[in-house]
Amino acid sequence: MDLTQQPRLAAAWPWISTLARLGLAAVFLIAGGLKVTDLAASARAVNAYDLMSYDTAKVIGAVQPFLEIALGLLLLIGIATRLSAAIAAVLLVIFIAGIISAWARGLQIDCGCFSKGGELTGGRTAQYGLDIARDVGFLALAGILLWKPKSKFSVDGLLMGDR
Amino acid sequence: MSKGNRGRDRAAAQRIVEQQKAAERRRQVTIWTSAGVVAVLVIAGLIGWAVLAGQEKKTDASAVSTPSVAVDDGTAFAVGTGPVTVDIYEDFMCPICHSFEQQTGPTIAQMVTDKKVTVRYHPVSILDRASNGTEYSTRSAGAAAAAAVDGKFLEYHNVLFENQPAEGSDGLDNAKLIELGQSVGLGDTFATAVNEGTYKSWATKTTETFASRGFNGTPTIVVNGKQVEGPGNTLPTTEIFTQAVTAAAG
Repeated sequence: MDLTQQPRLAAAWPWISTLARLGLAAVFLIAGGLKVTDLAASARAVNAYDLMSYDTAKVIGAVQPFLEIALGLLLLIGIATRLSAAIAAVLLVIFIAGIISAWARGLQIDCGCFSKGGELTGGRTAQYGLDIARDVGFLALAGILLWKPKSKFSVDGLLMGDR
Repeated sequence: MSKGNRGRDRAAAQRIVEQQKAAERRRQVTIWTSAGVVAVLVIAGLIGWAVLAGQEKKTDASAVSTPSVAVDDGTAFAVGTGPVTVDIYEDFMCPICHSFEQQTGPTIAQMVTDKKVTVRYHPVSILDRASNGTEYSTRSAGAAAAAAVDGKFLEYHNVLFENQPAEGSDGLDNAKLIELGQSVGLGDTFATAVNEGTYKSWATKTTETFASRGFNGTPTIVVNGKQVEGPGNTLPTTEIFTQAVTAAAG
């Protein structure tokens, strides 16, 4: 049983990693793409977390969407996959920490993950639990790539001469 | 016999050399691609920085035409002459602002008449994303500034809320904004300012000021420097608002 399972699983990993890679790429491309069109709103979303001065929030809010899109593209083509996944994981941990801190301080904000965020008014309640669960799911995708970075249709594979 | 052995040894040695070569190549690829990834991310960050710097230029004091009638660092329009200052930050696209106007607007108007409060209206544009790219929030805030210049701020403010478009729609086009202006007696100078977007950059700057003061949502209602909210970040009822004004009046 094991003897027949092992090679099959070994053959499946690159495909699993490919799905994880493309999924994570989509997450970052969408998140960045939604924010890049309105950097002022992105700055306000960062500012809503109330963790830094508005001037700092402005810079983070402007840089973050471009960084997310770049990382998404790098994951999409699959170059230095392990490093890209590590950077994605670090970003996701920072985002999760930000949401937890907002939750702990009792702020009522929209996380701004896939939106331009801001304070919630008029009876909309924050969905911190769901936001965190979603980000942890993305973190798991990054984890798969950190563990098994080899994937199909990647620049890495091309350069390493994998078939 | 010995020849065969030597051949085998040579083949094995060659295999080891090839394996080492392949491992070395993998190392090289890893180093260079990693350097590439870091470089791409640094460049992306710099692009973000540069785009931000470009946008900052647009809201430089020199680039913004601030209405002369604006108060509070040129960000608001004052109505009334009472001792208590009420700051109201509103986006003309924001449905809850509309609710607040319907709910508490008459009370505020009465307070102004009774000379209890000075209301400073700050039109902000935080909902541009909710008008399909027509930037209704910015256009309407700019139009309100143009109305203020011609002395009709409050009338126009009210008519904008009465005709509020649905969030997520295209908003009202400039022609409609001008038509509403005409209904409250605004004329050609107003129409020109709306069509040319004279005060759009002013609206962007006002929104910046709003954010830099640590406010994130609309409506934000501040009485004598203290933000007034209902329980759990909700809209304050008229009662809560009135209590805040009474307390501020001392």
